Amino acid sequence: MSKIYLKAMEDVVQRNTDNTNRITEQAQGFVVSENAGDSLLHTSFDLTTAQSIVKHLHASFLKLAQSCVRDLDTDDKLCFLRVKTRKHEFLVSPEEAFTVTVVL
Amino acid sequence: MSAEVEELLKRFQSMKNVTGIVVVDNDGIPIKTTLDYTLTLHYAALMQTVREKARQVVLDLDATNEFTFLRLRTEQNEVMLCPQEDYFIMVIQSPCD
Repeated sequence: MSKIYLKAMEDVVQRNTDNTNRITEQAQGFVVSENAGDSLLHTSFDLTTAQSIVKHLHASFLKLAQSCVRDLDTDDKLCFLRVKTRKHEFLVSPEEAFTVTVVL
Repeated sequence: MSAEVEELLKRFQSMKNVTGIVVVDNDGIPIKTTLDYTLTLHYAALMQTVREKARQVVLDLDATNEFTFLRLRTEQNEVMLCPQEDYFIMVIQSPCD
């Protein structure tokens, strides 16, 4: 990634510090990844955990869910995804350029 | 399916906003549905894929964990998917924010 891009990313992280702090109060953590290359942008987890969430949830499962929604109705679009498991709950919010996952 | 599940489905059906209920077995064949046949087959096939993938993803992230529920919110619909041993239940409702 270019330095300009990284700098812009740092600015966004700075501006949203209040939001991310509030998220981490309620949840176990969060992961933000870029949609284009499925690269990790920002996280409160350790790198290994965050990378596995990006790889499995964002790059794999989210893409499948989006394509299924598109198959059912071409005008429809996936807005939000909640995956509840025995131990955690993953809240996945796909946006235009990035995807946010919060783990409860 | 037991009578309890039947009772549960009746309760879901009478709830506000619920537009459809589909019960699909593990092979992707719809057992019970309130939607029309074509739409049921469409939902059953696609959500079967999603269910299998969700189970796989949860196991990949943590081998001791287990997939229990899925909620898919789209612009026009909300699909809730609850896997059971031999089948899974899908409830489709209009989202009310």
